Amino acid sequence: MGEVSLGDTAGTAHPTVAPAGTPAVSIDGVTKRFPGPKGGEAVTAVDRLSLDIVDGEFFSLLGPSGCGKTTTLRMIGGFEYPTSGSIRIFGDEVGLLPPNRRPVNTVFQSYALFPHMTVERNIAFGLQMQDVADDEVRRRVAEVIELVQLGGRETRKPRQLSGGQQQRVALARALVNHPKVLLLDEPLGALDLKLRQAMQLELKQLQERVGITFIYVTHDQEEALTMSDRIAVMDEGVMLQVGAPEEIYDRPRTRFVADFIGDTNLMTATVVDGRSVEISDGTVLRVANDRDVGTDVTVAVRPEKLGLRRPDGERDTSLDAVQGRVDRVTFLGNAIAYEVTALAGDPPVRLRVRQGNAPGVEHFAAGEEVRVRWVPPSATVLED
Amino acid sequence: MATTLQPASRDGERPPPAPDEPGLEVDAERAESRRGLLIGLPSLVYLIVFFAVPLAIVFVYSFGARSRTGRTVLGEWTLDSYARLANPLVLEITARSLGYALLTTLICLVVGYPFAYYLATRSARVRGALLVLVMIPFWSNLLVRTYAWRVLLGSDGPFVRALEAMGLPTVQLLFTPFAIVLGLVYGFLPFMILPLYAAIERLDFSLVEAARDLYADGWQAFRKVTWPLSRPGVVAGSILVFIPSFGAYVTPEILGGSRTTMLGSYVVSQFLSARDQPFGAALSMAILAVMLITAIVYFRSGGRNL
Repeated sequence: MGEVSLGDTAGTAHPTVAPAGTPAVSIDGVTKRFPGPKGGEAVTAVDRLSLDIVDGEFFSLLGPSGCGKTTTLRMIGGFEYPTSGSIRIFGDEVGLLPPNRRPVNTVFQSYALFPHMTVERNIAFGLQMQDVADDEVRRRVAEVIELVQLGGRETRKPRQLSGGQQQRVALARALVNHPKVLLLDEPLGALDLKLRQAMQLELKQLQERVGITFIYVTHDQEEALTMSDRIAVMDEGVMLQVGAPEEIYDRPRTRFVADFIGDTNLMTATVVDGRSVEISDGTVLRVANDRDVGTDVTVAVRPEKLGLRRPDGERDTSLDAVQGRVDRVTFLGNAIAYEVTALAGDPPVRLRVRQGNAPGVEHFAAGEEVRVRWVPPSATVLED
Repeated sequence: MATTLQPASRDGERPPPAPDEPGLEVDAERAESRRGLLIGLPSLVYLIVFFAVPLAIVFVYSFGARSRTGRTVLGEWTLDSYARLANPLVLEITARSLGYALLTTLICLVVGYPFAYYLATRSARVRGALLVLVMIPFWSNLLVRTYAWRVLLGSDGPFVRALEAMGLPTVQLLFTPFAIVLGLVYGFLPFMILPLYAAIERLDFSLVEAARDLYADGWQAFRKVTWPLSRPGVVAGSILVFIPSFGAYVTPEILGGSRTTMLGSYVVSQFLSARDQPFGAALSMAILAVMLITAIVYFRSGGRNL
């Protein structure tokens, strides 16, 4: 792709200098309510959201449809105004500014390319609206066309392009303005799986090269995990957890987060002390927690963190283990999925186990007795 | 591997006839077009009897001669009637009709566009109610509605009365160009609003958001995105208003005076009072030509954008 960079910000409309360490976007106690359907109650789309997005990071807003992630993005872009709270971009309050007066650009879900303009004119639009000189416009459009590899298609109309190419035009049209923050609203949703995976990688590389803060809205947990520096998980207008992908995946704080991202086993348990809980078959698991002794809690552990052994083998005391019987075996190609029910307990603990299909890994059949075991830190106590 | 790739016909048998043999396909297509003709026949007959035949008669008459008693003489073919189209009076009336029609179109566009935009951006329920309001006038006769304007604009009408009551000098409203253009706008505004509404309603409003995101202010977003994308509606509406305005008869006849004669009335007077059918026919053909050219312009420019 060559030595193209967007670091040169000469000629951009927003030369404000913020002190080092200022968050790219700072959302403080933002609530958005929409008037309900005729006579109905107002709908709260975003509820007291507070969030700082660091300069230069790839930040994802993740959640199911209707969780408020798109509304949050649209408030940053200026397409919706918050009912209360404040939104700052590099320290400047933008809460009630129209979109054309914010130093951010958006890549829309359906791209929203201007159908009556060529690729070139689509990309040049933002610069022309800012009255950038003609030869400067030409230079920057050519630069960004090279960046997104659209050379040779400058004079095509959007409908003459494939989905992937339209996606690149949408990106180029936003990036050419050298925005301080780029907002992306499920930009890969319309692409097929293969292309989507290729574009995920490309988007991430592009973001690293141009160094612009990306705020990325998606309902696809895999997409969020693959690309993001940090993820905020939202549900029903509330932010449930924010953190690095590993943190969100390995240490989900709530049942919703554990369930929404990846596959998970949930076990009901009773707190024994600050370092252990007891499950229904009487097994004591080593799980750190800060609950009162005797409280019922939910313990989560990912299926791929679990291993299977013959029940009669020597016990490794550094691992937590549950004795059970295999109910069902499913061959997945790259892995084998087992469903195991604990031998004792009412109701009995059920665990899904996923073992990689690697040489040397022992296979089990339905009906066999097994010992399910894991490294204690794999399990975590949920807050709800 | 190689043996399995050999064609099956090698074993001496002829392959069965393919179901997609060209002969069958052609037959099916013929049957299809026969059925199509049958369905279209009633309207075809209707168009021939009530449109093509009268049009042909007018066309033939336009080359006829007028006897001294006002009878039309066919057989002595002449282009005299067409030559008389260059008559200063005809040119004056044509220019006037053109002016009124263009002004009517422009006013309809200026009034209709904001309304159509408003209409297209409402909820489905409000939209339905407003569309009914646009179409209600069609439920009564244009002649009746135009007479209503005659009462409203007359010297005893509410407008003139109101001016009197305020002690202002009264003005003549009826039988003026103002009255005609008002009547035309009133009559043909729905023809502007409906195609505009259809075009704007189809518009993807995320494009407007994209323009705003790319530093366009509200007016620039309208000029660069909304307007060009609603152009097919603008062209369609303008032509649907221009054509009937140009050839209008009822409105100028009822609301206009002797100094505001438009082409429609002039054609009628040639047929009835002047008893000069060939000239009236030639005028009609000229008007038809203008409308035809306008329609072609529409399909050329509209078709490319749709």
